Amino acid sequence: MTVALETELSPAAQKVRERLAASPLAGRAEVVERDLPTIEIAPKEWPALARFLRDDPESRYDLFLDLCGVDNLRRKGQKTRFEAVVHLHSLPRNERVRVRVLLDDALPSLASVCDIYPAANWFEREAFDLYGFDFPGHPNLYRLLCHDAFVGHPLRKDYAPGQRWFFAEEDLRMPAWSKETDVRAGHFETQTISIGPSHPATHGIIHLVARLDGERIVRAETMIGYLHRCFEKMAEKHHWNQIVPYTDRLNYVSSMINGVGYVRTVEKMLGVEVPDRGRLARTILSEFSRIMDHCVCIGANLVDIGALTNFVYLYQNREEIYDLLEACCGARLTVSYVRVGGLAVDVPDDFVARCRRLLEKIPTLIDDVETLVTNNRIIRNRLSGTGIVTKEQAVAWGMTGPMLRASGVPYDVRRAHPYDFYDKFDWDIPVSQDGDNFARYLVRIEEMRQSLKIIRQALDVFPASGPVNSDDWRVVLPPKDAVYHDMESLIYHFKLTMEGIRVPAGERYEWIEGGNGELGFYAVSDGRGGPYRLKVRPPCFPNMAAFQEIVVGGTVSDAVATLGTLNIIAGELDR
Amino acid sequence: MSGGVIDVGRRVPNRLTLLQKLYIPEIVRGMAVTLRHLLRNLANMKGMPTILYPEIRRKYSGRFRGKHILKTREDGTMKCVACYMCQQACPAECITIVAGEHPKIAYEKYPVVFDIDMMRCVFCGFCVDACPKDAIWMTRNYEMAFFTREDAVFSIDRLRETKEEVEKHGYGYRPYYPGDGTTPPSDASLLPVLNGSGERDRLREEGIRLPDRDPGAGPLNAPCQAQKAFPA
Repeated sequence: MTVALETELSPAAQKVRERLAASPLAGRAEVVERDLPTIEIAPKEWPALARFLRDDPESRYDLFLDLCGVDNLRRKGQKTRFEAVVHLHSLPRNERVRVRVLLDDALPSLASVCDIYPAANWFEREAFDLYGFDFPGHPNLYRLLCHDAFVGHPLRKDYAPGQRWFFAEEDLRMPAWSKETDVRAGHFETQTISIGPSHPATHGIIHLVARLDGERIVRAETMIGYLHRCFEKMAEKHHWNQIVPYTDRLNYVSSMINGVGYVRTVEKMLGVEVPDRGRLARTILSEFSRIMDHCVCIGANLVDIGALTNFVYLYQNREEIYDLLEACCGARLTVSYVRVGGLAVDVPDDFVARCRRLLEKIPTLIDDVETLVTNNRIIRNRLSGTGIVTKEQAVAWGMTGPMLRASGVPYDVRRAHPYDFYDKFDWDIPVSQDGDNFARYLVRIEEMRQSLKIIRQALDVFPASGPVNSDDWRVVLPPKDAVYHDMESLIYHFKLTMEGIRVPAGERYEWIEGGNGELGFYAVSDGRGGPYRLKVRPPCFPNMAAFQEIVVGGTVSDAVATLGTLNIIAGELDR
Repeated sequence: MSGGVIDVGRRVPNRLTLLQKLYIPEIVRGMAVTLRHLLRNLANMKGMPTILYPEIRRKYSGRFRGKHILKTREDGTMKCVACYMCQQACPAECITIVAGEHPKIAYEKYPVVFDIDMMRCVFCGFCVDACPKDAIWMTRNYEMAFFTREDAVFSIDRLRETKEEVEKHGYGYRPYYPGDGTTPPSDASLLPVLNGSGERDRLREEGIRLPDRDPGAGPLNAPCQAQKAFPA
């Protein structure tokens, strides 16, 4: 056995160690204590470990959440230059584990686990693209986010940012199968078409290459990355607080939730407590953002399949919520409202009254949409029984959020890993056993109602006054009147602005329930004013990875309806 | 307290009833909803959610993050002391400052160049938060169209606060103060007070509240007296 750290292990990590010690892998994996139980392992053992973690009846880590690379070139005290960090979740036991695969410096390579966890497919392609890791055994190892004429691996620390690579049309890689001729018995020759990148139904820029046999899709491949801005590289160049405006541009439909998820990660690393008023304000605005997210998803989806009126009613909700956000922070879409340790400014005086006005308006509009849609025969024919994802498939593909719940798994981060005050509120998780597009529509409609329920309870306990920010001036900018007149405050203000928040060295994965599912932030700090590495686990990334499998067998019009209920937000997908 | 799990799939029956399958009754029900909206909007044209934009403008709050302005002192000079804090805080790296020496000794520094590239700016308000001199605010002006990239770089002339602009658009995002949130408790940058200059006593006579500090006379570069913290 490699030398185990003699630090105190938490009971969770102790259990992981015991299970590993009883496994065939005994002596080849090391368990260390971090924010999550962390297994360190050599790349050649990784597939065996993955299989063990998934199949062992006492482990059952069935949900593959995230795989990302870390380059330790400028980070002291690490064993290897490259490592692949994997986060796994066990749905039956509600436990998590992190696996750090310590890679070879010269030739970072680890076997693909696509056959064990199908969700790993796109995450491995992403790590190949951004870090140059090799995944032997991967079925389709091509660049995912960067374009095909890109040279180098941008998230490596020795890659100079700002380089530009010219992309010509002939550089576009089409899947090899799309060029082959396929003649089926008794049929005409199948044809290959491109849906997107600029197609009204793709909502953002997504490229679907589909092989059609008549109207049916027999094979498909999704190509993404058209909106890639390399959020993660930008994050490495900025201070912790300066990343907040960047997070707004991940899921720009519910930008508040991204900010909350991000600053929670940093606050956990710092050990900073936000006062109740600040946390409740975040909760209320996050839930309103979730309603917006679902409104956009349902509205746009219904427009795609021909029902225009609902879009207008749902967007009316969204406009009203935007007005509330604008009154709080001064912007409608890209709110930039949260800061590490609290909020940018206190909520306005009429915050509670405004929220209560919204609580009266939104339900009637949701009811109107339900009257128009739910029992409409055309909608039923388009949505019922199309885009079916079974429970097993949803878990294997790493889906979370409404997608997973519509397939019958009652997993919601707000219940499984309660943050802020979600465990204090009374609300239900909507699930459906059907797993089709209509189930996802119903789940989202019900989630909007549950969000309203949460907001109502949060407003009842919302403190009328009090601080929204932590009073730790090493983290939060001091109040302005103190900055103008008090030297001490001015120094803190200056240090925070010029150098950023000093986050202790270490790593942390924090996750919250975004509009589309689990939104995770994995942050690595080396003690500077900004992150050493920041990885976003976008909830719609695994959903989109599964899209090319879901649509096979259905018609093109089913694919359009399915794409709508997956709720792909390109800003979050491509980062 | 927490809740349970509800099965929405079971609540909404999978099969439509015969009446629903006939389609026409559902259409009538749907038409009733749209008709209700139509009649309500006709009766209350002013309450309609649609804004006829160029003629009618949305009313934004006093926190709206629009075009920036550089605040001025009472004598017309700019409050900005070119400390580079906003340039450093800007996540989009859109602010360019070149500092110069101000002819008036009390002001020390001023920005010779203060450019904001509005094409890069993301209007996050971090510059306002970063300013230690209350020198940069935002307005509710969101209509900044330009024809060339060069036009998008706003220099001091276009950023300096003007009465017309403030009257037309109103102040937007600014440093937050307890109270009504409009004026700082006492405007620090109006008080360029140096020990021994005599300005302090003159200002006191005018009734301006000064930070509580030892009134000791001394040379300009005398070491700073220990300060009392500003009363909360």
